[in-house]
Amino acid sequence: MNYGIVLKVLGSLLIVLGFLMVPSYIIALVESGPDRTPFLLTITLTLAIGLFLFLKERKEKSISAKDGLAIVALGWVVASILGALPLYLSGVTENYVDAFFEIVSGFTTTGATILTDIESMPAGIAFWRSFTHWIGGMGILVFTLALLPALGIGGFQIFKAEAPGPVAGKIAPRLKDTAKILYITYITITLAEVILLVIGGMSIFDAFIHTFGTVGTGGFSNKADSVGAYSSSYIHVVISVFMVASGVNFALYYSFFRGKVTDLFKDEEFRLYLGIIALATLAITVDLWLVSYHNLFYSLRDAFFQVSSIITSTGYGTADFNQWPTFTKGILLLLMFIGASAGSTGGGMKVIRILVMLKLIKREVGKLYHPRAVMPVKVNNKVMNNETIARINSFLALYMVLFIVSTLIISLEQIDLISAGTAVAATLGNIGPGLELVGPVENYAFFSIPSKLWLSLLMLLGRLELFTIIALIAPKNWRIDV
Amino acid sequence: MKAMIVGAGKLGAKLAEFFVAENIDVTVMDSNTKVLERLNEHLDVLTVTANGIDIKMMRDLNVETYDLLVGSTENDETNTLICTLAKKLGCKQTIARIRNPEYMQQIDFLKAELGIDHIINPDLATAIAMEKYLMKSYSFYTDDFASGKVQMVDFNISNNEEFAGKRIMDLVGLEHLLITAISREGSIIIPNGSTKLIDGDIIHIIGNTKEIERFSHRLGEDYHRKLVSKVMILGGGNVGYYLAKRLCKNKIQVTLIEQDRQRCQELSEQLDNVLIIHGDGTDIHLLEEEALSSMDAFVGVTGFDEENLLMALMAKQSGVGKTIAKISRSNYINIIDRLNIDAAINPVYITASSILKYIRGGKVVSVSLLLGGNAEVTEIILDNDLPLLGKTLMELDLPKGMIIGAIVRDNDVIIPKGSTTLMANDRIVVFCLSDDLSGLKIFFKTKKGGFLSELWNRS
Repeated sequence: MNYGIVLKVLGSLLIVLGFLMVPSYIIALVESGPDRTPFLLTITLTLAIGLFLFLKERKEKSISAKDGLAIVALGWVVASILGALPLYLSGVTENYVDAFFEIVSGFTTTGATILTDIESMPAGIAFWRSFTHWIGGMGILVFTLALLPALGIGGFQIFKAEAPGPVAGKIAPRLKDTAKILYITYITITLAEVILLVIGGMSIFDAFIHTFGTVGTGGFSNKADSVGAYSSSYIHVVISVFMVASGVNFALYYSFFRGKVTDLFKDEEFRLYLGIIALATLAITVDLWLVSYHNLFYSLRDAFFQVSSIITSTGYGTADFNQWPTFTKGILLLLMFIGASAGSTGGGMKVIRILVMLKLIKREVGKLYHPRAVMPVKVNNKVMNNETIARINSFLALYMVLFIVSTLIISLEQIDLISAGTAVAATLGNIGPGLELVGPVENYAFFSIPSKLWLSLLMLLGRLELFTIIALIAPKNWRIDV
Repeated sequence: MKAMIVGAGKLGAKLAEFFVAENIDVTVMDSNTKVLERLNEHLDVLTVTANGIDIKMMRDLNVETYDLLVGSTENDETNTLICTLAKKLGCKQTIARIRNPEYMQQIDFLKAELGIDHIINPDLATAIAMEKYLMKSYSFYTDDFASGKVQMVDFNISNNEEFAGKRIMDLVGLEHLLITAISREGSIIIPNGSTKLIDGDIIHIIGNTKEIERFSHRLGEDYHRKLVSKVMILGGGNVGYYLAKRLCKNKIQVTLIEQDRQRCQELSEQLDNVLIIHGDGTDIHLLEEEALSSMDAFVGVTGFDEENLLMALMAKQSGVGKTIAKISRSNYINIIDRLNIDAAINPVYITASSILKYIRGGKVVSVSLLLGGNAEVTEIILDNDLPLLGKTLMELDLPKGMIIGAIVRDNDVIIPKGSTTLMANDRIVVFCLSDDLSGLKIFFKTKKGGFLSELWNRS
């Protein structure tokens, strides 16, 4: 590995991170909260380390695939370690591991919290916690790439390792332009939602908090009842729609804005994604209507909200879905695994992988009838090459292995299997709330420290598509070579 | 500027590399995903897996927003078609690679009728470069600039007492010449007065043609000064054909060895006065039968770099004066300098040079890529409203890897010093390492564009 360049890029990442904390510090100053000094200390520390790493003279110039992986994996860990400091220093969490869990949950857009009393948080901390969703959603290193084009060659390695989905694609010839386009789209969606929420009567501060949670598909709220704290159906619908929108591949918006409207609806992943949402919403609506709510409008509203929230891995709740009928809970559990589209801010396995998996199954069945048939797997009329398919298969396999092994580990906590399993599914898929003990009105505070660390690892694994982190852990990578 | 390259072969990939260094937005299209993935790993370009003649794809990519399209697939007809289509769809300029000699004969008509702005023929360009070298009276590789007034020579100083072990400021007889660079063990050093030369260095000297000739005559004792009159060409592909044809016109006896019987037949029909031998060029007995040792020059232009290289070495050993090998892959560049062959000519670099010259526009007279593409020599005519006019070179504070090798002003060649000033309409010959290419910008007029215009104009 090329330590020089890895450290340099990490340095630039920390400088960017330092500046990203400034808005939270300003809010803390305005509110004269107890979190002023912690923010100031953290910003100073982050910038100091960042500048030290960045300014040190390095001779290497290009970033190899290995370096790219290391930069992304280490970058996320280091950003979380430093980003957790304000929470710990201001006494919002009792110990550092809790703060780390909370911020990893923020950056990875999971939204699982260990805080028992959310509403008493200082404003700066509340803002920072949600802002990490926004940063982590599109990728903190992609942001760094947009700002620091000088990274140049090899930046694609970073982009590939950080972008969600099996195939990372550029939309402009230069990486910095691709990053800029993505962020402009992201900012536009963000501002649109803030405005719509403010129109719906939310305070500007809360509108920002909930927008960050929505467009980053995170799920942190500053209300104990999450979005359920707002009784306005308008707010529920706006947030639902924006959750769905944030689960769409952002590259599709680019072609959409360039006037290629039909492209959006021709995209197979997008169609399957909408199809799943429609079907799941329909099933849950009927179930809720007949079994518990006995009111069609509320059933539809809450079903749509919860389906969007879970499939996009946001994790907001308007109702305690743990109390909903078992069939509905089963559907929600399934959605946790499916996840959002590739190239969106959402988590989970990604719809495209499910799509390829379904096509593979169809092909296998076809081959039983026609053993000599040549049947390539096509997505959007393009043949998927065998390497990509193999990568998708091993991803799905690894995902299941991690799910099972982690459920076993978490079951050591002496809790029921549903709680343990959904805690793992909800962190690995970056969703947030699970069922039973980790349900929407519960939190993750009761876990022991080792479990919290393990769940934090799962969140990072899930956000960085498993292999980035696994590759870093693999001992082979630690060999020093240039 | 936005450019699209269709076909990511050797030429396409190399061009993409040069374009990126020129700060051009590059889109590369190829039907082979693997090749593109590899390219993506080390270049900041947009790659598209598609067939270049797919009009729908071209439309999707908004080909009308591109300033340039280069057709560099394997196939002449495909390149032609791609360029014509792109032009019709609104791409501003198109360049096609066409290699078939039969098409080359009607190239002007094709260009005009099919809307192709520029045709590149790597085989012909390679043959011309080889011919130029063979026609010179000395055996080290040179390049001409300013219509021959300025030359750049590569000179291997091995075992030359006059140079090895001396500092540059102590060398005598170099007053009107400039040592722009030294190749040492595969890397390039930009020397200053106190740089010490060591055995095995290759020095790149730039200067007035007369001075260069005087210089080479002085060193001439070690070299065969006799004019080339008998040449053996190994390989009867397009390059071999073009070269044989051109050499014949210069009344040079050519022996051409080709393995394929059918091809021999064709060649013998098309080439008069060329001795075509059907046989395996690596068969040393065959070469000896055809009197290899009595040849003045040997040229290896088969499709295999290794074969060209080894047979050129073999020829050198048999006492042939000038040996040239065609080397298409840049991987070997670092070791070739140390081998005892006189010139390794890379068709890819020659072609890329001609494209770079074309895209840099009217004021750039020529571009030559040197040293495995790590450096280039560019000839530029200075516009009359550049901010740098009237300043001394010292004040300009040029990047380390950039040297103005010569200035041609009113037909006089000036070897510049720190106190020399640049004037309008000067023809300058600039040596530049590819890392510092962006420094070349100061010699051109630049357009102003804000951040937002840059952002939105590209969509």
